[in-house]
Formats: sequence, structure tokens, C-alpha cells
Amino acid sequence: MKTLAIFTIFVLISGVAFTSSANNAYAQNDPSILLRIATQADKQILNQLDRSYGDSIPSKIQTLYEKGHTSVESLKNSLPDNIEQAREDFLSAMKSFKQITRMISEPVAESKISAYTSESHRDFSSELDRLEKHVQNLKKISEKYKSEINFDEIDNLINEAYIQIDNGTDNTSEIIDKLKDLIHSIEKEIRESASHGASDRIKQFIDKQLKGIEKKLTRALDAGADETQIDNAHELIAEIKILISENDIDNAKMVFHDLHKLVKNIVRSVR
Amino acid sequence: MNPQIVPIHRKESLREDGMLFVRTEGILDTMVKLPLLVASMIIVAAVMPIQSSFSSPRVLDLIIYPDGTTHVSSEIDVDPLVTDYELDLFGSTIDNFVVVGEDGFLLNTDVIGNSALIETFGSSIITIEYDIHDLVSKQGRIWTFSLDAPSDFTLLLPKNSAIVGMTNLPINMEIINDQNQLTLSVGDTEIDYLFSTTPIISDPIVSDTLTPQTDYLTYALVGGVVAASIAGIAIVIRSKQKTAKPEQVQESTQKIETVDAETIFKLKPDLREDDKEIVKFIANNGGYALESELRKKFLQPRTTMWRAVKRLERNGVIVIEKKDLQNLVKLRKDIEKEEEE
Repeated sequence: MKTLAIFTIFVLISGVAFTSSANNAYAQNDPSILLRIATQADKQILNQLDRSYGDSIPSKIQTLYEKGHTSVESLKNSLPDNIEQAREDFLSAMKSFKQITRMISEPVAESKISAYTSESHRDFSSELDRLEKHVQNLKKISEKYKSEINFDEIDNLINEAYIQIDNGTDNTSEIIDKLKDLIHSIEKEIRESASHGASDRIKQFIDKQLKGIEKKLTRALDAGADETQIDNAHELIAEIKILISENDIDNAKMVFHDLHKLVKNIVRSVR
Repeated sequence: MNPQIVPIHRKESLREDGMLFVRTEGILDTMVKLPLLVASMIIVAAVMPIQSSFSSPRVLDLIIYPDGTTHVSSEIDVDPLVTDYELDLFGSTIDNFVVVGEDGFLLNTDVIGNSALIETFGSSIITIEYDIHDLVSKQGRIWTFSLDAPSDFTLLLPKNSAIVGMTNLPINMEIINDQNQLTLSVGDTEIDYLFSTTPIISDPIVSDTLTPQTDYLTYALVGGVVAASIAGIAIVIRSKQKTAKPEQVQESTQKIETVDAETIFKLKPDLREDDKEIVKFIANNGGYALESELRKKFLQPRTTMWRAVKRLERNGVIVIEKKDLQNLVKLRKDIEKEEEE
């Protein structure tokens, strides 16, 4: 019996340890992708060096490039049999190339990229692609609520903006800003439609939770919990029920949050 | 042996003083309730996956746009018994933030700084989408994506981008619409990339060397078909060449008619240096090029290139024509005549 129990504990401990370590396990589908990436990087670095320095590459960069290139060659030889070596070669090559890119980059202060930092740097095409994706999301949500929101104007503006971008005309910025305003107003409309459906969902959720909480409070009282706290909890429950009957969902949610915290404390006190 | 030193287990006086002795071989039975221990271990083993399943994304997909902004799309398991869920965002400059429950209905959210409070109210899976400007930075020509990912994730890099540095190993890489999509593991990731004028798709010869288990029969068949197609195309072209010689002559004369770059520079000495480069490229390209090709060649934003092209049009160097909704830029053949007049 004792041996069996010890064996069970051992199995469980190993199981726990295994499941937690499995999250960090590393699985590579196809090691050849390492070579594809490294070869591509090698070519690009060579192009960049050629572009930046021509035939007079600084010796430090040349040494780094040779190190990276040697690692790529070694990576080629390591595959497909020696995966571990291939991984090491890949990381070594990419590290060298990364160092080179840092060295050949113009010596300017690193700055975060933002589509909004400067009007002259705005990439309208990317901005428009993102807005279009967002509009697609809004359309799906709108269909869910069966709200009759008209997206025609937005669709037309998106098309117009794409044409303007292709033609390179100067008023693309205005169209995109107009598009953003329209999207904001549609988001507002959807949120209003959503709030009606959400109210019913929240009511159902709170009703169900209140039943469970009342049972918990009864058990806590039997276990010797502080009666004043239990009374406070019951008062909050009564308040929530009134607020729900008055359809005051926002306040019901707030009081429910307070109740949730209080019940947690009560349950903890009797453990 | 020193008589003062007596091994402790031989000290009979200790027993006489009423000292309690515990048999060590029975300690497990005496001190630990085995069934209780087993039960607790079972509970721990059962709860661990549940704990790790909540709050870590089950899906995390990222798309980097050419301007460095990243679209985040994520699915997270949440506890259906709690009212809200606090989500750590990957930064604070967020746009187009939308969260829906598993039924596709919109959830209320409150974004403050780097975190969002989502009212889940019974949802067990939530889908989050937003655009973020904090994940990519740029230094010179090099763009750097960095993220401490809470789970494995996919990353779609922009078109014409080429990876030139990486801090960890990718799990997978696919090409989707001419874009590299990497699958990366949880934890810190830093990827350097730049926009390339050369094709980014890897050399097929390289792939061939990496697949030793290749079915050679398939290769032979495919090779045979390709060879036959090439032979067929060659025959067709040869037969067409015989019949269409006058057209070819006309085409070649058209190319000869194109004014060379040096002549243009002599006629238009005030052209800007960057505009001269564009003219050189068009001239070497047979006298015409799509505006999009120029953008790719000179790595210029759309508006900058458009202004350059417009400038050249105003100077009478080029004409702009529409071709399949794109701008086709052509060097003017009559530039010399115009200047003479």
C-alpha cells in the first residue's frame, strides 16, 4: 500500500512537472526554414554592405560578416542531420547580421514608429488597410445585432481613398480623417445597439450569480462568519435586485462588484 | 580513544531522562496522511492546466504593416464565473480596439494605459483585436520588432521585407501572399528587417538541398513536363518570330526613339539629383515604368514619389498615362523637338 502511494505521488509530481515544462518545449516543424531565413539575411546584408560601403567595407564589419557567412555555410552542412548544430549556427549567424545592421544603420536616435507622429511620414495605404479591416469587424458585429447600420458611405470613402492613394493626390489625408469620424459615429451606434442586448445578458448573469452567492452566505453563516458582514452582503443583494428591476444595469454592475469583493472576504474568513 | 567522547547513540542516560525517540523508518506514515497527500496532488495536477489556460492566449496573431503599426488579434480563455477580465496590452498607443465574446457580441471595455478592463459577464472565450504603434521601432533603414510574447504566436511581416537579424529560433515559416509569416515561441523576441528591392522568396535550389527524402520520380515527371513545355514554348516563339518580324522591328525602333538620360540632362540642366536618378532608371527600363515600380526601386513613400513624378511632368520630361488603374510614367520622345522650338 505504502509503495503504491509513494509511486502515485511520484507519478503525480512528474506529471505536474512535465505539464509545466511542456509549455516551454520547443518544436520546430521544418528545420530547413532556418537556412531559408539565414540565407536570405546573408544576401540582404551583402546588398546593404555593397550599398553602404562599396568596396571599402570597414574591417570590423567585414569580420562580423565573415563570421555570419561562415555560420550560414555551417548551417547548410549541419542540415538535415545535425539539428542542434543547425540551431546554434542559425543563432550565431543572425546575431552577427544583427550586429552588422546596427552598425550600418544611420546614427540617428531610435524612435518609435507611429503613423501619427508626423503628417509627412503617414503611410496612407497602411492606415487605410487597417481601417478597412476594422470596418469589416464592425460589419460582423453589426450583423450580429441585426442593426440596420448603413456602411455604404464608409465603403465609398474607402474606395475613394484607395483611388486617391493610387493617383497620389494630396487630399487623401482629408478623406482618411473623414473616414475615421464616420467610423467613430458607427462605433457609437453599434455600442448603443449592443448595450440593449448586453443588459439582458448581464441580468441573466447576475441573477444566476446571486443564487450561488446566497447559498455561499448561508454556508458561511453556519461556519461562523461575521454576522454583520453577512447582513451587509444581503443588503447589497437586495439593492442589486431593485436596480435590476428598474433596469439600472450600470449601477447594478457596480454594486455587484462590491458584493463580489465582500463575499470573497467572507468566504476567506471562514476557511 | 578519548573516554570523554562517547557516541550519542550509546548514551543510556538519555533514555532514562524520558527523551522521546521517533523511529525514522516510520516517519512518512506517522507525520503525513498519505491519502490526504495523494488527494492534494491530484487537485494540484488537475488545477494547473486550468490555471495556465486562463489568461494565456489560445491564439495570438500579429500583422506588421509597412508603416510599422502592428495589428494584434488574440483569443483568450476567461473564467465565465467572473464579471471582468484585466488584459495586459502590448503598449499604450492603441487604435481600433474591439473585444467580442464567443457568441460574437461586443463586450464593454475600458482601456487605461497598458491595460484594458473587459466586462466578460459569463463569456468563456474572448476575441480581441487592436492596432498598436509600440512594437516596431526604426533606426536608419532597419526596422526592429520586439515583443515579450505571453504565448506562441504568428507574425506576418510586410511585403518586400527581409529579415536581417533575429534573437531566437522560429518554429515555422510560411509564405502568404508574398509575405513571410513566422511562427515564434513564447518569450522575448526581437526581429530586425528591412525593405528590400530584391525578391524575398527563398531560392528554390536551397530548398531542394534540404529535402533528401524527395521523391525523385515526381521530380523526373515534373522535370519532363517542364522540359516539354519549354520546348513547346520555344517552337511557338520561333514560329511567331518568323511571322511577326515586322512588329519586332517596329518595337525595336520605338526603343531607339526613346531619348537617353544624358540628352535629357543636357536639355534640362536644372533637374534635381534625385529626379535625375528616376530619369536614369526609366531610360534604362526602355523609356517607361510604373509609378509603383519607381516607389519600390527608390524606397519612397507613395506621396513623395508622386510629387517627384509630377515635378518631372511639369518640367516636360515625362508623360503620365493610366494603365490598369496605375500610373505609367513615360519619357517624352518629343522633348528635343520642344526644346528646339
